[in-house]
Amino acid sequence: MARAVRSGTRMDTVLLVACCVMALLATVLPLNLREAIAGGLRRTVVAPLVSLQEQAVRGRSAFLSRDATTSRLDSVALRNMQLAKLETENERLRALLGLGRELQWGFVSAEALRIADIGEEHSRTLTVGSRVGVEPKTPVVAPEGLVGMVRTVDPNSSIAILWSHSDFAASAMSADRSAYGIVYPHLSESSRDAEIPPERYLLEMRGVAFRSALKPGTQIVTSGLGGVYPAGIPIGTVLGELRTSEGWARTYLIRPAVRPPDVSNVIVLLPKRIQGQSLDRVWRSTASADSAARRIAAAGDSLARRATADSMRAVEAAAARRAADSVAGQPAQPGGTRPAAADTTRRTQGRADTTRPTVRRPDAPRPGAQQ
Amino acid sequence: MSWTRSARAVLAFSLLVLLHYTIRPFLGWRTPVDFLVIAVLLSAVRVRPGAAALIGFCTGLVADSLTPSAFGAGALAMTAVGAAASWLKAVFFADNVVLHGFFFFVGKWAFDIVYVTAERRMHGVELATQILLWSPLSAAATAVAGVVLLLMLRPVLEPQAA
Repeated sequence: MARAVRSGTRMDTVLLVACCVMALLATVLPLNLREAIAGGLRRTVVAPLVSLQEQAVRGRSAFLSRDATTSRLDSVALRNMQLAKLETENERLRALLGLGRELQWGFVSAEALRIADIGEEHSRTLTVGSRVGVEPKTPVVAPEGLVGMVRTVDPNSSIAILWSHSDFAASAMSADRSAYGIVYPHLSESSRDAEIPPERYLLEMRGVAFRSALKPGTQIVTSGLGGVYPAGIPIGTVLGELRTSEGWARTYLIRPAVRPPDVSNVIVLLPKRIQGQSLDRVWRSTASADSAARRIAAAGDSLARRATADSMRAVEAAAARRAADSVAGQPAQPGGTRPAAADTTRRTQGRADTTRPTVRRPDAPRPGAQQ
Repeated sequence: MSWTRSARAVLAFSLLVLLHYTIRPFLGWRTPVDFLVIAVLLSAVRVRPGAAALIGFCTGLVADSLTPSAFGAGALAMTAVGAAASWLKAVFFADNVVLHGFFFFVGKWAFDIVYVTAERRMHGVELATQILLWSPLSAAATAVAGVVLLLMLRPVLEPQAA
């Protein structure tokens, strides 16, 4: 018994000494050997523990960064909301640029500022005045159509009434010129027809000949009669007929093309542009205005496009130089023809500007053809 | 030691190792609780000093595999702590919570002293600060956690009635 205890004690001592020696040896091993042993352990026995530790550290990081993440998310959401507003404004400004491009001359663009006074919700202060040629009764338009008319003019500003103003009136016709009438704001807030909902921001087209029946959806534009508004400016679309006591003429309810809350930037048509000029072509279709806006938008992005084209040209020029160098090492071709590689490079350069269509003169030789 | 008691001891040991690699990094304290020291101490009092030294060595080597620059230091410290705890196991037979806590405290502090000495990375004031400030604080946290765990694991480990 005593021998067994002694043997056990000796065994314990041996194990302890062995473990201590191995541990001490481990501390003095070369770094690469230590790394090899530690790496082996990490890849085998300790791998699950390493994975657990990583997840715990990740969990702690997520826990600690929760507030910061929430705050960042909130600010991103806020900026996103502002971004939508900016996008809308950007769209409107681009459309305005497109309209200006279609009009070409005889107009000034202006900001339409809301007048805060009570009762003036149907007027706007424009940031242009007589110094740039604005006169009373000049039309105010937006990419969508007619906005209103300038009423009073100062040197640097003017006041315009919107189509919703009670004093507004415009000579109008259907887009196919089959019906003529006078457009007024629809001042009644109660509906006279069960099918048409009551709404303040609508227009009425009165005095339409009884024989001229307009279908809902028909586009109404200015007729040019009266000399205030040139022909062809969109006013709105027919919603339906209003029942009136007049038996000899029809009155139609019109949904305006321009919504008063959207009026922020406008174009004022100068008097010389109005005289005898039809603007039919400018607003021929909404699609044309949209496409004009898209063209302007594309032109607005020209800086980015030019930078891309420049970088592509630089790369292609380098490739062309390399090709020219390699061709220069070959014997010259008979007849002094240009090496094919150079032509190829030139054709590739032309392809860089994808937004501009390739224009080729009819008498120009086809690329690659012998001259 | 019967098979059942051995299995329970292995289970408790594994649980403490798991806690070391989950709770400890999650808490991320400056004075962390060392669950590995608690595991080695609780195992050491149930085995002979030689086996305790071997358990400490293996546990230390596993811990060292994640810190190759101090490879071997943890193994040496754990070996020493495990063997010493096994030789002093009589203290553990006293069913006194405060005494258990003190033993965890001393075990962790001793581990840290051996570790930082064998590691040979710290010198001067930094070494003194580590040994006299951070190590005792960490040892205190380990002692508290050890006592709590010992009370929780008592049904698993069974009282040392024998």
